[in-house]
Amino acid sequence: MKKLLTFGLLFVLVFSLVACSSNSSTSGDEGSVEKKTEDDKELVIATGADMVTFDIHDHNTTSTEAIHVNMFNYLVKRGEDGFDPDLAESWENVDDNTWKFKLREGVKFHNGEELTADDVKFTLERVANDNKLLEHGNYSQIKEVKVINDLEFEIITHQPEPALLNRLSRLGSGILPSKYIEEEGWDKFLENPVGTGPYKFVEWKKDDRVVIEANSDYFGEAPKWNKVTFRAIPEDSTRVSELLTGGVDIATNLPPSDWERVKDNEATEVAQGPTQRVMMLVLRQTEGHATSDPKVREAIDLAIDKQAILDSLMEGSGTVTRTRVTPGNTGANEDLYGKTLYDPEKAKQLLKEAGYGDGLELKLSAPNGRYLKDKESAELIQAMLGEVGIDLKLEFLEWSSFADKYASKSFDDMFLIGYGNSMFDAALALDRLSSKQAEGETDYNNPEVDKLLEEAMSNMNAEERAKQYQKAQEIIAEERPQIYLYQLDAVYGVNKGLNFEPRLDEMLYVDDITVK
Amino acid sequence: MKFLIKNILRIIPVLFIISLIVFLLVRVTGDPVSLMLPETATDAERAQLRESLGLNDPLYIQYFTYLGDLITGDFGESFRYNQPALGLVLERLPASFGLAFASMLVATLISIPLGILSAIKRNSFIDLFITGGAVLGKAMPNFWLGIMLILLFSVQLNIFPVSGTGSLMHFVLPAITLGTAIAAEMTRLIRSSMLEILGQEYIRTARSKGLLEAVVVNKHGFRNALIPVVTIMALQTATLIGGTLITETVFSWPGMGQLLIQAVNLRDMAVVQAATFIIALLVIISNLLADLAYRYLDPRIKYD
Repeated sequence: MKKLLTFGLLFVLVFSLVACSSNSSTSGDEGSVEKKTEDDKELVIATGADMVTFDIHDHNTTSTEAIHVNMFNYLVKRGEDGFDPDLAESWENVDDNTWKFKLREGVKFHNGEELTADDVKFTLERVANDNKLLEHGNYSQIKEVKVINDLEFEIITHQPEPALLNRLSRLGSGILPSKYIEEEGWDKFLENPVGTGPYKFVEWKKDDRVVIEANSDYFGEAPKWNKVTFRAIPEDSTRVSELLTGGVDIATNLPPSDWERVKDNEATEVAQGPTQRVMMLVLRQTEGHATSDPKVREAIDLAIDKQAILDSLMEGSGTVTRTRVTPGNTGANEDLYGKTLYDPEKAKQLLKEAGYGDGLELKLSAPNGRYLKDKESAELIQAMLGEVGIDLKLEFLEWSSFADKYASKSFDDMFLIGYGNSMFDAALALDRLSSKQAEGETDYNNPEVDKLLEEAMSNMNAEERAKQYQKAQEIIAEERPQIYLYQLDAVYGVNKGLNFEPRLDEMLYVDDITVK
Repeated sequence: MKFLIKNILRIIPVLFIISLIVFLLVRVTGDPVSLMLPETATDAERAQLRESLGLNDPLYIQYFTYLGDLITGDFGESFRYNQPALGLVLERLPASFGLAFASMLVATLISIPLGILSAIKRNSFIDLFITGGAVLGKAMPNFWLGIMLILLFSVQLNIFPVSGTGSLMHFVLPAITLGTAIAAEMTRLIRSSMLEILGQEYIRTARSKGLLEAVVVNKHGFRNALIPVVTIMALQTATLIGGTLITETVFSWPGMGQLLIQAVNLRDMAVVQAATFIIALLVIISNLLADLAYRYLDPRIKYD
C-alpha cells in the first residue's frame, strides 16, 4: 500500500510540475512560435466561436460579421469623421425621406458579374421586407429602393431616417449578387457565397475553419494576403496555446488570466482596444423601491470605485464612463467619457439624508459568464456598497434565465448588464430610456428626455440632432436610471511580427493587418 | 433471430421516451429567443422571432408537430445554422467516429499489455504501479488532462499540433485524452479477468504439461479472459460519447460532441433533439452488438 501511495504521488507530482512550469513560466521561451515574416502570405486568426451563416441578413453576431467584411462590401464605410465611400461613390439627400446614391463603376462580384443598382435593390429590400430575418428590425425603416439606371438608385424611407448611413455601414448591408441568387437559388449561395470584397470564399468546415483567398479582381487596393483562415477554437486555453506555438497568428478574446503567458513569450504580445460594450447597473424607479429616491441612486454611484474594478479584475483594461454613447458613435457626449464619480463619504451622507442612515437592503441580479468577469464585478460592487451601509443581496443567473427575466422586465431593484451598439448611433443606446420603453423596467420618466429623444429620432439636421442626444445624456447621467460603470476592452493575442490595431467595431479587416 | 427481432422492436419505445424527455428538457431550461437576440432587441422583435420559430404554440401542439415530423425523419431546422438538424449531426459523425476509434485503439494498446502484466506479476511493485496508475487515469478529469497534454506535448515540447484536424498527428492528443479513462477501466478489468482465469484448473494442467509460460498466458489465459473485455469495449460507447463532448471542445475537434455542446448553450432545440436521438440510437446498437458478441464468443450463453 505504501508503495502504491509513493508511486501515485510521483505521478501526480510529474503532472503538476508540467502544469506549474507553464503557468509560472517567465523565461520567455514557452512555445516555439517565431515572428511573422514578410514572405509569409498566409494569415491564421483564431476566434472563440464559429461563424453562424453566410445569410448576411439572418444573424446578429459580431464575430460572424468580422469574417464577412472581408468578402462583402457595404455601400458606405464608417470613417474617422462621418462616412466614406465604398460601393457607393457619392450620395445626397433629395428630401427628408429620399436618399440618392451613385455606385462605383466597374465593380465585379467574385463570379465575374458586374455590380448594378438591381443588386442593391435586391439586397436591401430582402431584409426590409422579410420580417423573419433576424436583421429585419434594423432595416424595416426602408420603404423601397428605386433603380434609376445601372449605377444610380434612390433609397426611400417610411419616415425621415437620420441614421440611415449608420444602418448601411454595418451588419446586414453587404451587397449580394442578385442574378446569381435568383438563378442558382439561395441554398447554392449559402454553400458557395459570392461578394464583391477583397477575398473570396474557399471553404467553411463548421466548428473548424473558414478559409478565404485573395480576389485578384478586387476594385480597391490589391489584397495583402494570399490566403486567410479563421479557426474556431472555443476553449480559451487551447486558443492561447495555438498562438504560443505559432498555429495561429492572432487569437481573439484573450482571457485576463492568460495575458501574462502571451506577454512573456518572446514572439507574441497583447493588443487591446475599446469596444462598443458598456457595463452598467440598471435601477428601478418604481414606487416602493428605495432606488426610486435620487439620493439613493447617487449614493450607489458614488460608492462604487469603477476604476478599482477594472484594475483588480481586468488588469486595468477598459475605460470608465458616465455615458453609454462613447466616442465613435453619432451623438456621443465626450464630456462624460473617461469620467467617473467615487466618493464613499458623500455616499454615506446621501443615504443618511434619504433616511437610510441605519442601513439599506437592495437586490442586484447579474448574469454569470455572459460578460467578462461579470460575476466577480458584481461581488466587488457588493463589497463596495457594503462599505457605505448598503446590504446588497446578489442573485446570479445563467444567461438564458437572466434573459428570460430581462425580457419579462421582472428584476427587483437593480440588474447588471452590458449593452453593445452595432448601430454606432445614440438612438439605439438611449431609446430604452424613453418613458414608453422604460415602462415596467426602470419606470424612468422624464418628459424633457422624452422630448429630446422624440425630436432627435427624425431630425435630419445632424449637428442639431447630436446636440439633442448630448443633452439627453447629461440629464441621464445626473438622474441615473442607469449607472454606467465602464466600457469593456477587446483583448487579442498577436504575433509580434504583425501590425494589428483592434477596431472599435471588433471587425477583422485582414487587409488592415500587415507584416511589420 | 428471435432474440434480434425482439431487441430491435424494443428500441422503438426507448427512443420514443428519450425524445419526449429531451423535448421537454430543452424547452424547460431556457428560451432560445432571448439567446438569439442582442440585449437591445425590442419586445416587438422578440415577439416576431418567437412567432417565426413556432414557439408560440402550446407545448403539446409543438410536441405533436415534432413527433409527426420525426416519423418522416425530419428533426426540424437548426436555429443557429438555418439548416436541417439531422444533416448537421450526420455530417459531424465521421469526425467523432474517427476520434472514438483512435481512442479505443489507444485504450486497447495500453490496457491489454498492462492488464496482463499486472495479473502475471500480481502484488508486485509493477502491479501496484499499474493499478495505481489506473485509479489515477480514471480519476483525472477529461478537460484537465487534455489541457495538460497540450501544455506538455504541444507548447513545451512542440511534438504534436495543439488542436484542430487535418493529419494523423492531430489524432494523438485527443485520442490519449479520451482513451485514458477507458484504458484505466479496461486495464483493471483485464487484470481481474486474467487473475480469475489463471487460477483455473486447466491452466494448472497446461502448466503441468510443461508448456512455456508465454503459451499458457497467451493461448489459455488471455483468449478466455478476452470475452468480458470485448463486451466491455462495446459498452464503453456511452463513456466515449460522453467524453467526446468535452474532448472535442478542448481540441476544437469538429465532431458531434462540440456541435451538441454549442447547441445546448444556444438552446438550438432541433439540433439537441437530433443529436441526442442519434446518440441514443448508437448506444442502443452498441449494447445490442455487445450482447451478440457475448453469445458468439461464449456459446454457453443463451437468452430467451
